[in-house]
Amino acid sequence: MREPAKPFGRLLAPFNGQQTLGNSRFFWACWLIIVVALVLLPFIGTRYQVITASNFIISAILALSLCLIWGFCGILSLGQAAFYCIGGYAYGIVAMNLIERHGNTNVAILAGIAAPALFAAVVGALMFFSRLKGVYVAILMLVTSLLLGLFMRQTADPSYTMGAAYLGGMNGLSPATANDPQLPSIILGFGEAVAEFDGRGASFYWLVLGIGIAVYLALRWVVNSSFGYVLVAVREDPERAETFGYDVRLVQLGAFCLSAAIAGLAGTLYTAWGTYIHPDGFSVGANILVVIWVAVGGRKDLTAVIVATMVLSWLSIELATWGEISLLMLGFILVGAMLAAPEGAFIALGTGIGRLRARLRGVGRKAPAVYGVQELKP
Amino acid sequence: MNAVPRAQGLAAAQPAGTAAPPILDVRDVHKVFGGIRALNGLSIAIADGEIHCVLGPNGAGKSTFFKTLMGTDRPTSGTIHYRGSDITRLPAFRRARLGLSVKFQNIRAFSDLTVYQNLFVPLRRHHGVGEIPGRVAALLARIGLSGTETRLVKELSHGQQQWLAIAMAMASDPTVLLLDEPTAGMSVEETDKSAAIIRDLNAHGVTIVVIEHDMTFIRALAARTSVLHYGKLFAQGSFDEIAADADVRRIYLGSL
Repeated sequence: MREPAKPFGRLLAPFNGQQTLGNSRFFWACWLIIVVALVLLPFIGTRYQVITASNFIISAILALSLCLIWGFCGILSLGQAAFYCIGGYAYGIVAMNLIERHGNTNVAILAGIAAPALFAAVVGALMFFSRLKGVYVAILMLVTSLLLGLFMRQTADPSYTMGAAYLGGMNGLSPATANDPQLPSIILGFGEAVAEFDGRGASFYWLVLGIGIAVYLALRWVVNSSFGYVLVAVREDPERAETFGYDVRLVQLGAFCLSAAIAGLAGTLYTAWGTYIHPDGFSVGANILVVIWVAVGGRKDLTAVIVATMVLSWLSIELATWGEISLLMLGFILVGAMLAAPEGAFIALGTGIGRLRARLRGVGRKAPAVYGVQELKP
Repeated sequence: MNAVPRAQGLAAAQPAGTAAPPILDVRDVHKVFGGIRALNGLSIAIADGEIHCVLGPNGAGKSTFFKTLMGTDRPTSGTIHYRGSDITRLPAFRRARLGLSVKFQNIRAFSDLTVYQNLFVPLRRHHGVGEIPGRVAALLARIGLSGTETRLVKELSHGQQQWLAIAMAMASDPTVLLLDEPTAGMSVEETDKSAAIIRDLNAHGVTIVVIEHDMTFIRALAARTSVLHYGKLFAQGSFDEIAADADVRRIYLGSL
C-alpha cells in the first residue's frame, strides 16, 4: 500500500495503485515523453495530422468513459455513443442560442456535460433500482440510443427548432434562420477576456490534449481512490459489496452518471471540433466502435484503452487508403487481438513489458505488490 | 399467511421484560427456488449475546437460512425480526447498517483487490478514513496475516483467504455475525484459533451464528445448537444433547 518515499513518489502516489498498470518511474518517464511529443505535434506534423489527432484524443476520452463503467464497475453499456451525442447536441443547441448574448460558449460546455449526466441519472435510476443487470443494461442502452437516433433523424421538419437552433434531421444541427449564428467552436470566456479555439487549429488541439490528460489523470485518481476500491468490489461481487452495507445501486448510478458526463464532454469537443453534429452518432456502428476500442485495449486499464483507441483509429485511417480490403483487414486485426488476448491486447502488452523489466531489473510492474512480497520475507 | 398467531407469539415472547427478546427471530420462513423448497417453515430464535451453531445434512437449507437472514435472498413467505422490528423486506445493505454481517460459505473476497483494500471496503462503510490503517493492522494481527497488506487475494493460500473472509465479516464491528463454515479448509491449530477468536468476539457482546460440519469445533464453542433438516428446525439444544440425540445421528448417518 504505502510506497517508500522517493522523489516524485509523493506527487504521483494519488495516480498509482493496484487498479492501474504502469505505476513505476519508468512508466511515468515514458508517459512524459509521449505527452511532450504530443504537445510538440503541431510544430512537426501537418495541419491535417493535427486535426486528425484532435479527433483521436476526443475518441480516447469517449473510450475512457466506457472504460470507467465497463472496466471498473462491470456495467457494459452498448449506448455510450448516446451520451456522446446528447452532449454534442446539448452543446450545439445552447451555444447557438447564447453565443451572441454571451460572446463565449462556457454555458454550452457545461450543458454538454450536464445534459447526458442528467439523462444517465434518469435512465440509470430506472435500470439500477429495478436491479437490471448484465446484458439487459447493455441492450436497453443500445435501444435507448437507437430510439434517440430515430427521433433525431425525423427532425427535418422546420418546426423542430429550439430557439436559434434547428435540429435538421439527417442534415444535422444548423441555424434556425439565416440571421441566426452558425454552430461555434469553443470560445472560453474569462470575465472580459476571451480565448477562441478554432476546431481546425493547433490551439484547439492543445485544449483537447489538455482535457484528455486531465480526464486520464482524474480517472486514475478515482479508480485508485477509496471510491475506486468500492467500484471494483461492486464489479467483482455486487451481492457481497451490498452485504458490507453499500447501496450498490447508488454506486452504479454514480459511476454511470460520471461516465455519461465524460462521454458528454467528449461529444461537446467533437461538436466543437467539426462545428457539426448529426444523428448517425446514435447508430449501432458508433456505439459498437467504442466497445471495440475498450475491449481490444483491455477494459480494466485506462492507459490500455487510450492506446488502443489511438492505434485503432489510426489503423482505420491508414487502411482506408488501401481500398476495399481495408475493412476486412481491420476485422482480422480485431478478431486476432481478441483471440490472442481476451482481457485486452494492450493490457497484455503492458503486463509483458512489466514482466520483462522485472526479469531484467528485479522490479515488478505492480510495485506495491512486490514490496508486499518482500515484506513477508524475513 | 397466519399473521395473527405470530403477532400473538411476539406479544407472548416479551412479557414485561422477564426474558430478553431474541435478537433475531425467524418465523415460519419458506423459501422456494423453482420447485425446490430450500426452507420449509423454518422458525428459529437467536438470543442476544449467544453463540448459536447450526447443523444439518447437505441441502438442509443452512446456507439459504443465512442468505435470508442477511437479505441477499428474500423469503417466499414468513417474517424475520431483528430486535423486535420486522426486517423481512429490508435490502441487504440496510441490514448490514443495522449491525448484521456475514461470511458466506464461499470465500467471496474481491480477488482483484489487495488484502488491505479488501478490508478497506467493509471498514470504510462504518469508520472514518483516518481510522482505517490502524484497524486493518489490528484485524490482520488478530488473524495472523500481518504483512500481507499489499498482496492480492488470489496470491493467498486457501486457509489465508478463509481468514481474510472472516476478518472482512468482522470489520464492520457487527452486532450479529453470521459465519458459514468458517473453518473449512483449516488445519486443527487454525480451527482452534478460530474458536478462540469467536469466543473472544462473543465475550465482547457479539451474537454469533455459525454453520459448521466440524464437530470438534462446535464442541469447543459449547454453544446452543440447532439442527436443520429439509428446511425445518429438526432439533435444538446444547451440543451434548444434540450429539446424543438418536434422530439427529440418524439423519447425519452416524457422522456425529
